[in-house]
Amino acid sequence: MAGILDVPKPRINCSMLSQHINRAVCFVGRVEKVYPTGKTFSVSDGEGNNATVELNEPLEEELSGIVEVIGMVSNKGAIMATTYDVLREDKGTPFDLELYNEAVKLIHDFPQHYPFEVAASG
Amino acid sequence: MSVRLTEGAVEALFKGVEVNNPMLQLLSIRQIGAPSASPRFRLMMSDGQHSLSSVILATQLNYLIEQNLLVPNCVCLLKKIIINTLADGRHVVIVMDLEILQSAEETGGKIGNPTPCSADGKNSSPKKVSSSTSVSASPPSAAVPGTSYSSSNTAFSASGGRGRGFTGKAPVNASPMKASPMKASPMKASPMKASPMKASPMKASPMKTSPMKASPMKASPMKASPMKASPMKASPMKASPMKASPMKASPMKANSASPAKAMSIANLNPYQSKWTIRARVTNKSNIRTWSNSRGEGKLFSFEIVDESGEIKITAFNNEVDKFFSLVEQGKVYYISKATLKAANKQYTTLKHEYEMTLHANSSIVPCDDIQGVPTLNCDFVPIAELENRDKDAIIDLIGVCKSAEDVSRITTKSSREVSKRELSLIDTTGKVVTVTLWGDEAEKFDSSGQPVVAIKGARLSDFGGRSLSALFSSTVMVNPDIPEAFRLRAWYDKEGYALDSQSLTETRSSVSGSRMNWKMLSDVKSESMGHGEKADYFSCIATVVYIRKENCLYQACPSADCNKKVIDQQNGLYRCEKCNRDFPNFKYRLLLSANLADFGDNQWVTCFQETAEVLLGHSAEALGQLRDTDEDAFDEVFQKATFRTHIFKNRAKLETYNDECRVKVTVLEVLPVNHREYSRRLLSNIHKLAS
Repeated sequence: MAGILDVPKPRINCSMLSQHINRAVCFVGRVEKVYPTGKTFSVSDGEGNNATVELNEPLEEELSGIVEVIGMVSNKGAIMATTYDVLREDKGTPFDLELYNEAVKLIHDFPQHYPFEVAASG
Repeated sequence: MSVRLTEGAVEALFKGVEVNNPMLQLLSIRQIGAPSASPRFRLMMSDGQHSLSSVILATQLNYLIEQNLLVPNCVCLLKKIIINTLADGRHVVIVMDLEILQSAEETGGKIGNPTPCSADGKNSSPKKVSSSTSVSASPPSAAVPGTSYSSSNTAFSASGGRGRGFTGKAPVNASPMKASPMKASPMKASPMKASPMKASPMKASPMKTSPMKASPMKASPMKASPMKASPMKASPMKASPMKASPMKASPMKANSASPAKAMSIANLNPYQSKWTIRARVTNKSNIRTWSNSRGEGKLFSFEIVDESGEIKITAFNNEVDKFFSLVEQGKVYYISKATLKAANKQYTTLKHEYEMTLHANSSIVPCDDIQGVPTLNCDFVPIAELENRDKDAIIDLIGVCKSAEDVSRITTKSSREVSKRELSLIDTTGKVVTVTLWGDEAEKFDSSGQPVVAIKGARLSDFGGRSLSALFSSTVMVNPDIPEAFRLRAWYDKEGYALDSQSLTETRSSVSGSRMNWKMLSDVKSESMGHGEKADYFSCIATVVYIRKENCLYQACPSADCNKKVIDQQNGLYRCEKCNRDFPNFKYRLLLSANLADFGDNQWVTCFQETAEVLLGHSAEALGQLRDTDEDAFDEVFQKATFRTHIFKNRAKLETYNDECRVKVTVLEVLPVNHREYSRRLLSNIHKLAS
């Protein structure tokens, strides 16, 4: 876990999964379906595409709403989550997933203006 | 030839007598009409005995010629024709539907030896011919009339006749006898030997003989043509070079068109004045009066639709009185005798090339046979797609009214008071957009029960992202009787109502006209805001970096509405100069001097009571108390207010204070940042810069 937290984790959406295989990423999406095992669930991004998230331990409680998942992208395009965080919907402004998607696309369209690759550890 | 032509048909048609399904041979084709307009074809048809050149092909059949299906010498069955009578009594046959029975190859050649039919007095023909030119618009080979005889007449006269028919080429009949020349000379005046006319008529044709005749067709000839022939004015054809503005004048009158045969709206054009259409009124506007330098008047307009298309109709002054109460939205009428002219796209959202104006002779008759007339021709745009459309585009929209604001009254820049109402519409794409209704529609609208609302002809604006505004000419329909409405209703009842949809119209706050003038703080200096005569108003997103604590409060006159600073008389009384009174008390008022900053620049601004209270989060009185009692708490209020970001609506103005000119910025309103709207704005700015 420590390792992944030191590394820059670009925010991506489903269409960018294939370009980030074997790399650490940060994915924000809406929980669609939790598999019966509790260790896998699917999320949809702002564009409506789905991705699969796999956990190390099964979920302890029902997951719903928008989550932020940090993990590695597997060869098959699934996200092996090291940690996840649920965005609260009852407080503050509701999270606009489509708008977030637009921002993510922007970051990738103009990497020269968004230099995130600087090592986090400095 | 194996087919028998209907002998005598030509002569009958020439005389204006209707013939049922005549079989005729096409001898020649001539194209008439202005080059800019769509082509119209004039045909010379023969029944073996006579040939008629005043036959014009309806534009919907143009493809037959363009695809070479209809070629000279083929035999056709005229399944549907209309006979127009020109002012001078000549007749023009318009072919609405025909069937090709035998191709030219099969037929071999010209059947029989038809002589051109011409009106009495060949000479007259020329005249007609000229009119016919107008006919060019409607190719009915009207031209022929008259010309036919021409031959017999002197070359000129004769030719005159002929020429007309076919402007240009085979001066119709010009060589009366020949008749054949026609075929041969389709274009340009094949100088019919016999009749000089023919050849010449067309435009340049030397025409000695009959300048007039021939030319009528194309219209060009006309000018040149001596006009004797006076090309068929009648021919409404566009070309109608004839001086006479054929259309209006055109003989159409002669025809007592019975509404029985309704034309389609798509075919309406200014060159054909004898028509009747049967259509439903889709959009009726209110009466509007105007007064400008040229006088005043009133008008109302409405749009009609039939199976083929839609067109806008306007009535002015007297016609308003005549027709306003007669025309009802949703009803079907027969309309005839109105003026057609090119559509003024500025005032209409329809796609028709032309628009109609009613005049004293127009007739509108209610129609009972509404079969086939569509109820409404709407091209609904899904709300999600609105973002892709251009601002100011006119579109149709249908959606369920999720919610509606109350009616509010606004005073416009022209000092008129109007009512307005904003509705939120949602559709199957799950997106919501705000639609603004004005005036009567705003007041009449009933939003109970989440009705399905369809709007035709609303303007898309980028106000607050994307929103729609009903125009004067828009139609708002509540729970309309169309399939889309039922689909929407079903969808909404099942899932739509629960959708947490995204609205395309964000942030009503700080909305309305000038306030949405987004600027950066650096713009204040770079654009020299406030230097003009009027103050500049702008909105910006900025962070408070410093607020002056000293002199932020002052003692003001306690009387309502008087905020003048009072002078402490030191005897427990406070004097207000404006009210000219002494008061035992005062009220604290805030007057903040704050420094705002954004990424580019910072700016000192002044905040008065209301905005200051929002920034600090406390009332002036409370702060006044705090200052006297708890210094630390007082300081903390200011600390907390610093480094907060807000939306500021400001006014910048150049002011002179003791011989010094400075741009002073006052904060008129402080609003919390709406991050979504801000993000969207940034995104769109980025995209604009990137492209």
